[in-house]
Amino acid sequence: MNKYTVINTHVHNVDGIAKVTGRATYTFDVKLPGMLYGKILRSPHPHAKILNVDCNRALELPGVAGIVTGKDTLGVKQGIWRRFQDLCDEQILTVEKVRYIGEPVAAVAALTEEIAEQALDLIDVQYEVLPAVYEPLDAIKKEAPELHEGFERNINVTRHIEWGDVEEAFEEAEYIREDWFKCGGQAHMCMETRAAVSSYTPDGKLTVYHSTQAPYYMQGLLAGVLGLKDGNIRVISHYVGGGFGGKFELDGAIFCSAVLSMKLHRPVKIVFTREEDFIATKRRTPMFYYVRTGVKKDGIFCAREAKVFTNGGAYTGMGATALYLTGFFHSFPYRWKAYRYDGYRVYTNTLPSTSMRGFGAPQAMWCSEQQIEWIAADLGLDPIEMRRKNAHYPGYEVPGQATIASCGIDQCFDVVQKWIKEKGKLPENRAVGISAAGFMSGGIFNWFDTPYSFSSAVVTINYDGTVELYVGAQDIGQGSNTTLAIICAEALGVRVEDIKVHSGDTEHCPADLGAWGSRQTLMAGNAVKMAAEDAKKQLLEVAYAQSGFNIVYDLDIKNRWVHAIARPERGYDYAELVKKAIRGKDGQRIIGRGYYTPHRKGMISPAYSYMMQAVEVEIDKETGKIRLVDSLTAHDCGQPINRLGLIGQLEGAFSMAAGYGYLEYMPYEDGKLMNPNLVDYKVIRATEMPDVPVAEIDTYEPEGPYGAKEAGEGLTNPTAAAIGNAVFHALGVQIKECPIRPEMIVNALKEKETKTEEKEDAA
Amino acid sequence: MEKRLLKLTVNNQKYELYINPKTLLVEVIRDHIGLTGTKRGCETVSCGACTVMIDDMAVKSCSILAVQAEGSHITTVEGLEKNGKLAPIQKAFLDHGSYQCGFCTAGMLISCEALLKENPTPTKEEIREGIEGNICRCTGYNSIVRAVEAVVDGKYKEE
Amino acid sequence: MIHDFTYLRPGSLQEVLSMLADHKDECKIICGGQSLLIVMRQGLLVTDYLIDIKGLRELSYITFDEKEGFKIGATTTHRMIETSELIKQRCPVLVAVEKKLASIQVRNWGTIAGNLAHGDSSGDLAPTLIALDAKIKLVSSRGSRVVPLEKFYTGLFETALEKDELVVEVQIPPARPGTATAYEKFNLIRNDQAIVGVAAGVTLEKGGTCKEARVVLSNAGITPIRAKSAETVLVGKKLAGGLLIKAGEAASGDADPVSDIHASEEYRRHLVKVLTERMVKQAWNQAAHS
Repeated sequence: MNKYTVINTHVHNVDGIAKVTGRATYTFDVKLPGMLYGKILRSPHPHAKILNVDCNRALELPGVAGIVTGKDTLGVKQGIWRRFQDLCDEQILTVEKVRYIGEPVAAVAALTEEIAEQALDLIDVQYEVLPAVYEPLDAIKKEAPELHEGFERNINVTRHIEWGDVEEAFEEAEYIREDWFKCGGQAHMCMETRAAVSSYTPDGKLTVYHSTQAPYYMQGLLAGVLGLKDGNIRVISHYVGGGFGGKFELDGAIFCSAVLSMKLHRPVKIVFTREEDFIATKRRTPMFYYVRTGVKKDGIFCAREAKVFTNGGAYTGMGATALYLTGFFHSFPYRWKAYRYDGYRVYTNTLPSTSMRGFGAPQAMWCSEQQIEWIAADLGLDPIEMRRKNAHYPGYEVPGQATIASCGIDQCFDVVQKWIKEKGKLPENRAVGISAAGFMSGGIFNWFDTPYSFSSAVVTINYDGTVELYVGAQDIGQGSNTTLAIICAEALGVRVEDIKVHSGDTEHCPADLGAWGSRQTLMAGNAVKMAAEDAKKQLLEVAYAQSGFNIVYDLDIKNRWVHAIARPERGYDYAELVKKAIRGKDGQRIIGRGYYTPHRKGMISPAYSYMMQAVEVEIDKETGKIRLVDSLTAHDCGQPINRLGLIGQLEGAFSMAAGYGYLEYMPYEDGKLMNPNLVDYKVIRATEMPDVPVAEIDTYEPEGPYGAKEAGEGLTNPTAAAIGNAVFHALGVQIKECPIRPEMIVNALKEKETKTEEKEDAA
Repeated sequence: MEKRLLKLTVNNQKYELYINPKTLLVEVIRDHIGLTGTKRGCETVSCGACTVMIDDMAVKSCSILAVQAEGSHITTVEGLEKNGKLAPIQKAFLDHGSYQCGFCTAGMLISCEALLKENPTPTKEEIREGIEGNICRCTGYNSIVRAVEAVVDGKYKEE
Repeated sequence: MIHDFTYLRPGSLQEVLSMLADHKDECKIICGGQSLLIVMRQGLLVTDYLIDIKGLRELSYITFDEKEGFKIGATTTHRMIETSELIKQRCPVLVAVEKKLASIQVRNWGTIAGNLAHGDSSGDLAPTLIALDAKIKLVSSRGSRVVPLEKFYTGLFETALEKDELVVEVQIPPARPGTATAYEKFNLIRNDQAIVGVAAGVTLEKGGTCKEARVVLSNAGITPIRAKSAETVLVGKKLAGGLLIKAGEAASGDADPVSDIHASEEYRRHLVKVLTERMVKQAWNQAAHS
């Protein structure tokens, strides 16, 4: 029985008509009068000093309007961690030195893309090639070349998380296991590559169309690097072709187009090719994990110690946060008597790594959930019951880190256990693998140093009862426009179709930290709820004044019906009330305001989602090929808000996370990406997807709007580990590197056979 | 380079354009005619975002010279609706949330439409094969398959 | 970016041949362009004249004759082959191979001759057609010649096509009684390019002994490779006593694969072995039942 009118009902995505009819205009589509096309010249070297950039020949090419290099910029070292200046280390158009293959060195604006591209070949750059280093464990060696001045051993950031007495807890343990793991990178591979159109006008104002997850961040960061006031920069991003964590930092498209436009006073459009998107947009952070875990023979967890080296690539980006979150979620969703995590983010001469859906947690679970499965096998324990013994519960305090309010993990175990039991015995080459996980609903951190509330919303009611909802939250496909419209409709008492959502424009929308870290449903949702309730209160004041009801009676609006809660059949149309209320306010529209910033919510997040996933795979033993057969995900996101959106997010998360588990190999050789195209970089297609049914666990999160928590990023966390565990159960091999490739399985089986033969020989 | 006169019929509308013969069909559709519903997402004929129909066949317009489409009927996503009335597949996409960021959607709709034109009763497997050439990074494809199944089941019979 | 070219649209085969004779080195044929436009866009191929034969209906046909076998015109699309009832009945392996090629969109526009002339050693059609003993007809203003497809590939993306020649037809001899051919490729995602592929064709005597065998490898060398050692293992034998394993090992030895990001040389050899065993078995069983 759904206790809500709009929430968790079947609501069409509010951007649907625009998207299914081809009317939605993405930055990719934007055309402005007098617009020029820009292209970027990129470094062919992983590490080199720039001695000279000679643009003379290129400037002579007919149709070339202008060229910029780092020398044409303020040379500001920027980064999204604004509060920590030493982590602001990236110039984008680099001035003195290049640090990765593909780094922008110059940008050309011309009448056509073709001319701009031809001009690139005419720019002469003199480099002094420097020795380069590509792996974190090489880069921390004393003799390694230094990438950034002042960062000894190329250690960019370190993180430490600890509670309990780890040594003592290991003493208590009756079984200890240690393993090394390698987690690959991954490309966001948004369908819309990076794109920006910048237009600087003689009044000193800059308008930028950008495919971004966070228009507000872009505004602030651009102001910093261009020497403009925030208020003189307008960032527009109505429709975004995917983000997945890669589009809330400044990128080469927005920066170079802005610099060019400021020089030429004409709009400049830069759209990355797919190849550029692969080689020059930051990727998921590759990690090396050392994990040592101590448990009791009955499976109770005692101690865990993890040391992690991440391949940070050439710049910090959002890698500092990924370093922290991986260490935190590596403990999830279990209670550890003692836990110690030391993370080191290391600079290397490769593509910088940053946030990507899951934000370090998919890597953490790849290691943790596989090792836990192997421990269960080593000790002969049921892997689900062992997990259950140690799992979080509502009210649990992760020592010094977080207080868990709602937590449905135990119910998740029940659902998955039942599903596996019902499957029964599987054919010889098939097995099920499981993985639990938990994730945050937005972070409490303010490294961006914003003075604004993390989320804000404004609700305006027109005379005809239609509603304008202004949010800074950004819809990048995850459906936040719809989710927030649903919350607004529920809180105000109207229908989703009464609401027009305004987002993606810093000129008209309030500040919001944007779409990352799974923050918007909870944080922007709370802001929207507050704004809608504020507006409703103003309406109800008039209704109360008119009603003459006894003071004990409460009024409410549901589905456009103003009524006494105790007597719902007696009421009147909300539109009538609106007219009266506006008259009562001297003809002013009803305006409601809302905002949300987490306060005193621990070190990470105000709320945590939980899940357990089971994946059935079939493996061809002879070739090592993995086929996904079936899956089940038990999921606790508190109160589901946007039903269609939720299913879409879960299925989509699975497709991306499965890719991380067994498809999306991203090999580098001497700093060069070997497969920067969609032929050689394998993205899952319709013919490879299994069914992805989801069982929602009913919980209520007090911190979330209507009890809601995140859904959609957390679900990228368990799949790789679940696939790994399925491989373990099918073949008895332990694969410690992801993505799992078939050749690795064939080699592992060969190794296993050799070991078995050796044992038999010895016996 | 001498431009060439190209006569193209797109969504039942006749166009006359002067183009460099090396211009790709997707470039003519998006840049010369101005129908930006069709997108591009790669340089290797891999992603399918540029899918249009030529005489009811789904093709990738990024790997076809515009001149080769002369004399054929081209259908883009904009041509699916009739006088503001959405095609059954578009309605099905709305009902099933078969899109998220929407960037692959134009090409995806065309592939689905072409599939149903050729085979009005595809199996689930055939539906998956029908959109095999279209990459979606957001949905995981299953909601798209459900939308097509709904059309096959007759949920959107035209009045 | 694609370099400028002069676009020519011949209205007949004769016109094509005289254009080829006139422009020889400076021209290139485009038909479906599904492979060609990619390399042109990358600047790897530059041409002064582009001759578009896509519209030549006279070269789009599939005919069958009991004596001559199949004759497939050059501009026949993959999709036409895939959906041809005639080919499904008399050469089903070709339909199976086409179904696994790229995507419907590519198959709707791309053509068999374009695919074969491109000379990609990781293609699926060439090895399969070689296993079917196919021939390719080349025509120029000087005359015409028919070349066994096996001899058509001379190097990495290199064919026996002269500068003024055009592929006009693929000829597949009628299958002899007791013959079946099978093809399988290994990839991570269905319909992706082969990491390796194996086409196996066997002809069985009435008693079940192998009279003739053809094993052809895809992406195991710079051209499709006839795994002759594997064929020698099979001829004159019955399907028993580890024959498949021996054939697989022999094919693996005939392979000359590279190591790349998708597979090491060793793993490719391993896949050749596994796929050869499977395809020989599949073809053998089909032939035994035919």
